[in-house]
Amino acid sequence: MINLAQRDIAHSLGKFITTALGVGMLIGVVLVMIGIYRGMVHDAMIVPNNISPDLWVVQKDTLGPFAENSRLHEDLKYSLKGFSGVQEVHPLTFQSLQIHLGDKPVRAFTLGYEALSSFTPYALTQGRAITIRSKEIIVDTKTGFKLGDAITLGRNTYTVVGLTHKAVSSGGDPMIYLDLREAQELQFLFSNEQIRNDRERGAQSAATATVNAFALTLKPGFDPKSVGDEIHRWKHQEVYTAQEQADILTKNLIERSAKQIGMFTVILLIVSSVIISLIIYTMTMGKAKEIAILKLIGASNGIITKMIAQQSLLLGGLAFIGGNIFANASANFFPKTVILIPTDALKLFIVIVIVSILASLSGIRSALKIDPASAIGG
Amino acid sequence: MIISVENLSKTYGEGESSVTAIKEATFQIYAGETVALLGPSGSGKTTLITMIGCITEPTSGKLSLDGELMYDQKWHISDTRRLRREKIGFIFQAHNLIPFLNVLENVTLVPQMNGVKSDEANQTAKELLDYLGVEDKLTKMPSQLSGGQSQRVAIARSLANSPKIILADEPTAALDGERALSVMQLLRKLAHEQEVAIVVVTHDERMLPLFDRILRVEDGVVKEAV
Repeated sequence: MINLAQRDIAHSLGKFITTALGVGMLIGVVLVMIGIYRGMVHDAMIVPNNISPDLWVVQKDTLGPFAENSRLHEDLKYSLKGFSGVQEVHPLTFQSLQIHLGDKPVRAFTLGYEALSSFTPYALTQGRAITIRSKEIIVDTKTGFKLGDAITLGRNTYTVVGLTHKAVSSGGDPMIYLDLREAQELQFLFSNEQIRNDRERGAQSAATATVNAFALTLKPGFDPKSVGDEIHRWKHQEVYTAQEQADILTKNLIERSAKQIGMFTVILLIVSSVIISLIIYTMTMGKAKEIAILKLIGASNGIITKMIAQQSLLLGGLAFIGGNIFANASANFFPKTVILIPTDALKLFIVIVIVSILASLSGIRSALKIDPASAIGG
Repeated sequence: MIISVENLSKTYGEGESSVTAIKEATFQIYAGETVALLGPSGSGKTTLITMIGCITEPTSGKLSLDGELMYDQKWHISDTRRLRREKIGFIFQAHNLIPFLNVLENVTLVPQMNGVKSDEANQTAKELLDYLGVEDKLTKMPSQLSGGQSQRVAIARSLANSPKIILADEPTAALDGERALSVMQLLRKLAHEQEVAIVVVTHDERMLPLFDRILRVEDGVVKEAV
C-alpha cells in the first residue's frame, strides 16, 4: 500500500523540514532547560563531592557553608581530632568575591584549605597544587586567567600555579583555591585602619583564626551519624552527614530554581504541543480537497487517520532530531553548565511521541468530518 | 441492471426552510450504457449523482446497485466507502488527482486499498494508461500534466478497480472542444467495451449524441428525455 504520509511529505519536503526544524528549536530549548537543571545539580555538588567528607561540622543552628553563614574557631579542629573514629579534619573557608581580568569583572568562589593536607582541587588539569603561605593560587579556566598570571586579592598578589577545568560553585561561579591562612586573611582580616581604630577602642580584631566549616573523614567502620551525634552533644555545633549536606544543597538551595526550570519546561512543552497541533491541523486543512477525494474514492478512516498520525509523528521525530542537534550544538555556549544526558533525551522523545499523537487528534477529527461530496463540484 | 432508483428523494433542512433537491426519482441504468444527466445549475444533478455514489444519504425511496439493495428508507450497507472502492469509479470536473502522488500511484491507489498486490495493481494501471494514451507519463506528477492528460489519468483511476459504474461530474468542462469530444468518445468506447455503466453530469448539449440515454433534471424532477 502506498504510504500517503511519506508521499505528501516528499511532495513538499522543504516546507515540512523547515516546519520541523522550527518546532525542533523549541524542543531544543526544552532539552537545554533540562540540561541547565542537570548542570545546576552537578555544579552544586562539585565542591562537596571534591571535598568528599563523611561529616560536615558547621556553626550551631546554621545549615552549613553552602546555605548559610557559618563561623567556627579554627582550633576546634584539635578537639574534633580527639573524637573516636575521626581520621582527618579539614578546616575550610568559603567566600564569594569578584576579581578582575583586565577591565572585565569575574565572579568567583574561593575555597581556602590547608595546602599541605590530602585535599586536591577538583579537575586540576594544568600546573600544580599550591604550597603553604606562598602567595600561590589555583583558578578555574573559566575565569580566563592563565598559568603565571598575577591576581590581586585583598592585601596580596597571587601567582596562578594551577588551572582547574569546570570547577564551579553551586551558583555556577568558577572556583579559586587558596592556602587556608591566606584565605582566612582575605576573608577575616580587617583593614589596617579598622584594626588601629578597634585597638583604640580596646577591641581585638586582628585575629583571623576562623573557618567556615570543618570537613571530617572517619576511620573505616565508624558510623557517621553516631560520630556526628557525639560531636553535636559535646561541641554544640551542627553536624551534617555528606548526604544531609547534599540534600541541603539540592533540595533547599536549588529547589526553587529547579521548580522554575520545571515550570518553564512544562510551559515550553505545552507551547510545543499547541504549535504541533496547529501545524498538523493547518496541514490537514490544507489537504481538505485531497482528503475529500480520498474518501470519495473509498479510502477508509483508518487510511486517513494513519496518514495524519504518521505525518504528526514524523514531524515530532524530525523536530526531536533537530532539537537534539540544536541543544548539543548550543550547550557549550551557555554561561552555566548544561548537561545533556541520553536518558533525558529518551524521556523527552517519549513525551514528543505522545504529544505528536495528541496533536494529530485535532487534525484527524477535522479530516474525518470532511464531506466526500465536497470533492464533487457543481 | 446496474442501478435501480425508485422514488428516490432528497430533502435538505426541515420545516418551512426545507429544500427538496430530488423529488421521487425513478429510473434504471444498465451495464454498458452511457447516460447523460442534463440540467441547469442547481437542478439537483450533483445531489442525484452523490446519492447514486452512496455519498449523500437519500431522504426516502430505494436505491440498488448491481442487484444489491443499498438504501430503502435507510442505508442497508454498513460501509459505503468499501462499496465505492469496489464498485464505483469517479471522474471529476477538475480531474482531482491526488497532487502528491505520481500518475502510476494515482491509478494504483484504489486497487491497493482493495488489497490488490502492488505488482498486480501496477500492471493493470500500466495497461489502462497505455490504453488511454498516457503510458509515457507514469512517473509524472499531476502538476506536470496538461488538462487532457490529467483527465485521461483520472479516467484510468476510475477504471482501475474494475467498477460496475462510473460517475462523472462534468468531466469535459475544463477541456477545449476537441479534447472534450475525445474524452467523451473514450468514455463511450469504454462503456461499450468493458460493460461499464457510465453516468455523466453535463451541461454540454453538443455531447448528447454520444450518450445512449439522457435524463433531464429540472427542479429536482428527473425525466427521461426522448
